[in-house]
Amino acid sequence: MSESDMAIIKPEMMKSYIWLETSDGSIQQVEQEVAMFCPFICHQVLQKGGGSSKNNAISLPQKVNPAMLSLIFDYCRFHQLPGRSNKERKVYDEKFMRMDTKRLCELTSAADSLQLKPLVDLTSRALARIIEGKTPEEIREIFHLPDDLTEEEKLEPLKNTMDDPRIRLLNRLYAKKRKELKEREKLKSIEVEEHVDERSVDDLLSFINGRDHKVVNTSKRKKKTKKRKEHKNGTCKVSNKDSHNLHSKQRSVDETSFSLGGVSNLHNIEDDIFSRKAEFEDGYIDDEIDPALKEMLDREVEDFARRLNSSWVLSVGQERQPVHFSINGNGDTRRLTGKEGGGDEWFDFSSVTLGEASDPPEYDKVPSDREELVLDVPSSSSTSLFTFELPLSISELELLREDTSR
Amino acid sequence: MGESPDLISDLPQSILENILTHLSIRDAIRTSLLSTKWRYKWSTLTDLAFDEKCVSPSTDRALVETNLVRFITGVLLLHQGPIHKFHLSTSFLQCRPDIDQWLLFLSRNGIKELVLELGEGEFRVPSCLFQCLKLTRLELCHCEFDPPKSFNGFSSLKSLTLHQILVSPEAIESLISGCPLLEFLSLSYFDSLVLSISAPNLMYLYLDGEFKDIFLENTPKLVAISVSMYMHEDVADFEQSSDYNLVKFLGGVPLLEKLVGYIYFTKYLSVGDDPGRLPITYIHLKTIELYQVSFEDANEASPIQLFPLEEESFDLFERDYFEYKLPRLETVRMTDVSGIRNELEFIRFLMGTSPVLETVIVTSSLSDKDARMEMVVELLRFPRVSPRAQLLFLQD
Repeated sequence: MSESDMAIIKPEMMKSYIWLETSDGSIQQVEQEVAMFCPFICHQVLQKGGGSSKNNAISLPQKVNPAMLSLIFDYCRFHQLPGRSNKERKVYDEKFMRMDTKRLCELTSAADSLQLKPLVDLTSRALARIIEGKTPEEIREIFHLPDDLTEEEKLEPLKNTMDDPRIRLLNRLYAKKRKELKEREKLKSIEVEEHVDERSVDDLLSFINGRDHKVVNTSKRKKKTKKRKEHKNGTCKVSNKDSHNLHSKQRSVDETSFSLGGVSNLHNIEDDIFSRKAEFEDGYIDDEIDPALKEMLDREVEDFARRLNSSWVLSVGQERQPVHFSINGNGDTRRLTGKEGGGDEWFDFSSVTLGEASDPPEYDKVPSDREELVLDVPSSSSTSLFTFELPLSISELELLREDTSR
Repeated sequence: MGESPDLISDLPQSILENILTHLSIRDAIRTSLLSTKWRYKWSTLTDLAFDEKCVSPSTDRALVETNLVRFITGVLLLHQGPIHKFHLSTSFLQCRPDIDQWLLFLSRNGIKELVLELGEGEFRVPSCLFQCLKLTRLELCHCEFDPPKSFNGFSSLKSLTLHQILVSPEAIESLISGCPLLEFLSLSYFDSLVLSISAPNLMYLYLDGEFKDIFLENTPKLVAISVSMYMHEDVADFEQSSDYNLVKFLGGVPLLEKLVGYIYFTKYLSVGDDPGRLPITYIHLKTIELYQVSFEDANEASPIQLFPLEEESFDLFERDYFEYKLPRLETVRMTDVSGIRNELEFIRFLMGTSPVLETVIVTSSLSDKDARMEMVVELLRFPRVSPRAQLLFLQD
């Protein structure tokens, strides 16, 4: 063929390519129609005349690495053909989105920097599908998010609205307890399960009553202490509670005492804290407790909660109820409230939960100094355990006893 | 646990918000518990949609109601920045002062799209709604709507949907005329409405209910009409109006592309004195759908009257060709066809005037096989101008 022929043929056979340089310095060329599908590249080519040769390669934004670029161009190559039906495109999109989460996030980032909106929408929807319906721990696990909110922050979405010293104290206690528990659990993981308590109710109650103080319940049983919520009424309606109340895996029973939470009412905070913890520490705790035992305990608590719901008369909130914290292993706080008036109702609960009817336990006076009780060191204070709102279940009592005999 | 880099929190805020908008509001708020960076990411969402699924289900209605109210109040209080869309659809809430407060809050935060579908009740829309002048879409259901005298309409409103609203016709009229940009109008479940609609930009009109008199006074851009009318059997009520309904309704819509009519459509159109010709031709009409429209009454104007023909009175069956053309008509669908002469006339007319007709779907209501067969035979006889026309028969 003559040279002139060649000259004529060549341009027709050649597709035009655009030269691109990725963040790592490597340069590649891509078919023009594919690359021009990305608004960023399009803009660069049209406005700035880039990409025409190797030396004049368009440098792509930092987030676009070669792997992502090839993915993006696969997408572009498919979609830039006008002849495809909507159904075909949808099917392709579905398949395209099947990749691991890490790549999905990178792809979102890359597509966004190339201003490829359809792909950004697609990846966003895929990420939303991953997030929806999962618990916060699961989500943190998937995306490697640090669990760096304090208990306080988990409760209060608005900063500095709660300067309550009790909360700060609580936080400190939590931190301490958590550390402690971690160590102890490593040692005692098996023992707990085997301790199914057979002693009589009287025994258990009597030691409780006779004891100097009780805190530090290192029960590892995950308390469905959300049941606690029933005790609260909704006196303080601060709406910021709502968002957190949402988070706990509530049974419908709980919703009855759904409280908007008061900064001023420690009970509410308490409940939220441990319900929070109850949920979040789920994974942590569940691994270590025999499921059968757990179920039994759960049932107990549920059963109790139901009864509590129906017969409990609340007057909590009118006066500052002295609150006693028993912080157990996973950071749950068990609140044992002293009820000044000492209603009759709760006697029933204890008998129900402890499995045997017996004489109502005697409850001593309420200790005046809350703080003292809150600290976990067995003190020699003469105040005794006052009244239970929720009776301890068998294994809890056992652990309590164990703990204090330390 | 090893140190793995955070995958997602560093994406730009716009993308994260995009992701959060694809989640239910409840899931979106839960993300505030994930980590410090995520604490407030949800709070700048501009689109909020609530329904009873936001709270735990329960058989106790009052409980669900209370929880839902608390939830919404909580979300609004924690929210930062403008709120552009607010959708509330739940039958659990009917008439509560909380809703008033929410609307007040929204009116101060630049609300643009408001959808309020409440349960059956008498919720009276508060006056703050009429100060939301940035509204582009308003949808109200089961409310009482009473604009103050000083209200001049929503100057940016493009879409208006009113369903079972207690409101005076004058208020609706002035509302419609006060919204010059209105493009979509849907009025449903009204009783005996007498309306004159003047909306220069209106493109889609959806009417459903008992209408006494609708006059499309100034709707030159109307592209699609769907009318579902329920009339009293006693047509005498309607004879009062002297203008021909057909003209009043379809006389001023030259750009019409889709016409959908239900039940008493033709009956309604036939009321009034027939002035003869219509001033316009429907050169854009693409689709005609008539559902259960009965042509029974011999007095009823066949929709043929829509299309001006040379001779004023003639027997259609005598003609074999028509000069009139519906140049874009592609789809015709009629249900509940029982082989009445008017119906057949109409179909024949359409088939004879539509050069690009593609499908004619006829659903028969006849149970007698023979009668059906007769009708089908008759229909197949009709000459077709369009080579691609297909006649499809569906069983009821």
